[in-house]
Amino acid sequence: MAEYDRATIEELIDGTIDFFKLKEMLSSFKDPGRFDTYIEVLQDRVKWQDRILLPYGLHLYVVQKTDGKRMIKCDCGHEFCDANDNWKLHALVYVRDTEDRVQELYPEYLAPDPKWQVIREYYCPTCATQLEVEAVTPWYPVIHDFQPDIDGFYKEWLGRPVPDPAG
Amino acid sequence: MASRKTQILAIDAGGTMTDTFIIDDMGEFVVGKAQTTPGDESVGLLHSAVDALSFWGMTVEEAFPQLLTGVYSGTAMLNRLVSRKGRKVGLIVNKGMEDFHRMGRAIQSYLGYSYSDRLHINTHRYDPPLVPREWTRGVTERIDLFGNIVIPLYEHEVEPAVRELVDEGVEAIVISLLHSYKNPTHERRVRDIAKATLRKLKRDLPVFASVDYYPVRKESHRTNTTIIEAYAADPSRRTLELVDERMKEQGAKFDVRVMATHGGTISIRANELARTLVSGPIGGVVGGKYLGEALGIQNIVCSDIGGTSFDIALITQGDFTIDTSPDMARLVLSLPLVAMDSVGAGTGSFVRVDPYTKSIVLGPDSAGYRVGGCYPEGGLDTITVSDCHVVLGLINPDNFLGGQIKLDRERAYQSVKEQLADPLGLSVEAASYGVIELLEAQLRNYLESLVMGKGYSPTQFACFSYGGGGPLHTAGYVRGLGFEDVLVPAWAAGFSAFGCGAADFEYRYDRTLDINVGANATQKEQVEAAGILQEAWNELTEKVQQEFEKNGFQSKDVQLRMYFRMQYQGQLNDLEIEAPLATATTADDWKVLTMTFEETYARVYARAARSPELGYTVTGAIVRGSVEVPKPKIPEEPYYGETPPKEAHRGIREVYWDGEWIQADIWEMEALKAGNRIEAFSIIESPATTFIVPLGFEAVLDQHRIFHLRELD
Repeated sequence: MAEYDRATIEELIDGTIDFFKLKEMLSSFKDPGRFDTYIEVLQDRVKWQDRILLPYGLHLYVVQKTDGKRMIKCDCGHEFCDANDNWKLHALVYVRDTEDRVQELYPEYLAPDPKWQVIREYYCPTCATQLEVEAVTPWYPVIHDFQPDIDGFYKEWLGRPVPDPAG
Repeated sequence: MASRKTQILAIDAGGTMTDTFIIDDMGEFVVGKAQTTPGDESVGLLHSAVDALSFWGMTVEEAFPQLLTGVYSGTAMLNRLVSRKGRKVGLIVNKGMEDFHRMGRAIQSYLGYSYSDRLHINTHRYDPPLVPREWTRGVTERIDLFGNIVIPLYEHEVEPAVRELVDEGVEAIVISLLHSYKNPTHERRVRDIAKATLRKLKRDLPVFASVDYYPVRKESHRTNTTIIEAYAADPSRRTLELVDERMKEQGAKFDVRVMATHGGTISIRANELARTLVSGPIGGVVGGKYLGEALGIQNIVCSDIGGTSFDIALITQGDFTIDTSPDMARLVLSLPLVAMDSVGAGTGSFVRVDPYTKSIVLGPDSAGYRVGGCYPEGGLDTITVSDCHVVLGLINPDNFLGGQIKLDRERAYQSVKEQLADPLGLSVEAASYGVIELLEAQLRNYLESLVMGKGYSPTQFACFSYGGGGPLHTAGYVRGLGFEDVLVPAWAAGFSAFGCGAADFEYRYDRTLDINVGANATQKEQVEAAGILQEAWNELTEKVQQEFEKNGFQSKDVQLRMYFRMQYQGQLNDLEIEAPLATATTADDWKVLTMTFEETYARVYARAARSPELGYTVTGAIVRGSVEVPKPKIPEEPYYGETPPKEAHRGIREVYWDGEWIQADIWEMEALKAGNRIEAFSIIESPATTFIVPLGFEAVLDQHRIFHLRELD
């Protein structure tokens, strides 16, 4: 079974990894140590102390507070909400719903018609990093992207319980 | 002691090692190895030949003058292409079409991938183009698919385009215009203006117009192939000349020929050299065809197991099929290639346990020359099929490759235990046997589906099994399929090289045509159709004869065979058929051609599927021309008897087979005699291959040193 050193995983996270190395990783069975190394790298890179349970998207994490609560948290330390909640409802949102606004991104005839499709951009209220973009019909509810079963993942895939919040 | 009559030299110059096979008139051969010398390949080649001949106690000076022929195949050109280290090529295309080469075809993003990776889009990747956008220029013109001039050529745009490319420092210029195969006038005009411009600039750059090389449909294929000609093939010509010169210095009395994708060999002076790009696995199929002719077998399944892949090709009615748009080095091409199917399963395939399903997974990657865990020097951790062979006692760890490599049985055993047996909760032997069973079942399914999928049944075919790993698994993968006969040549490991030596000196040229003739065509229309086909044949014949002239053959020495590709109008697949006529001019000739098509169609598909009411389309003309060259002799021995000579018996080894340890007789392949009947359980060993006769089978050696493996009822 393949094993990769920390430097390789860091390259993977940064997107600087060589394509052929990446291809090899994609085509092989996942190395058993990958998740822990990955989390370790992420944990070392953030300035705060809360334990990362799961990466939740670019710049976002599900963290465990010392009282056992699970929160969605940004790189910068901004805490959005409980892990089961939709963080987008707590973010800043910019909706491109006019021709002028969509044409800032796309040339005229390659842009969507805002009567049919709008582009919603979600930003962190603290660091203003763009965290997610949705292209949806105008009336569409805010999408709740990802509702992971964290306890199931730890127990059934990693074969261990979620770490003790006090530990 | 020059006791051997050396006959054939076959050279396989790989990226790291150059192998030479020297075959004598008994079909026995020696293999020599030496490091490839990339600067001048002829140096490594000679070292390799010296190494080979040392096994027979001969010198190059003794052996070379006796040789009848020599065939080269090498990977230098392919390496140049894959590593993108070719010439700096400029490309001239239609204005507005400058991006088509770098965009490529979508299939190029996953060519060469395993099935799971093909489905896994994240792994797809477009390689850098052979010609980048900045060395591409467009000129205005348009010829439509019928060959009509829709926009005339803007001749004044050609010279500036050429000047700009020269300023960019290109070393060759390729021209590929839309539909030039249909009407070559514009492309040839661009070529002539380009040449005139280069003369004006006093620059001596080669110019390659696609129509002079590959006048066939499919823009990406035609353009890729013509670029390869300029980028990698033409620069490799010097390498081949050096090889030829060096051999002649050593007394060789023949021109070195190069194995080509269409299954023939061509001169190093051939116009189209790109078709020597890949030749390795074709050798075996050519050898199969040659052996089949000699033995009077018309329908053959050629199966080859090496370290990395299992290759199958069908020979039907004495001829192999040609794929006219194959892919190589992750590029779609317009070369005629002997059709072959491959799966990534060989004796070096890695064996792993799927961590989720706990099932055994073979390959698709393999250890190659690093063998497996049983070969500590290979530095591999993951176990391979070879490790299972060692555990089961099927291969002799002390006699692998004639003892050149010592295998470590204990290490193989431990690795299989840790990686396979323990996770599966099986004994090491049972787990290893399971791997062999799985591999053979996969090969058997693959073989059967391939033969059945083409509309045949294995009972109509003889199966030839060769390659270093073939004979180990032959019984396993033919079990129950009911082949008419199963043949394992004693020289199985060198069979590809033998095949290269057996290949014709043959050129093949293709041209795309679109001749549509309705079901109720008048006589006049039929005469016209025959005329267009004949014109194409004439043009291609001239090309073939010009090639042979370069090696001093006159047109009367050249044996010509005319082929055409035909389909029912509106259907998608055409068939390549040899014309039973030397010329086609009359309406009767046309009828003979369509009749031949009907017969072939009925054979390939079904009699009831014939649809003459649709009318016919001729999609291509092909001319194959060959001249007589010496071929290897198929060995011939007097009949000895059923009982093998005592000295051939090399003892007894314990082998684990189907749940128990049994006593296997070990035989030395070279010491067996014609007529010998070998009963199960036997292992027949030779330096380069191991042939297993398991329970339920027996093998008989015939007078041509070919084993016939029979399944007992």
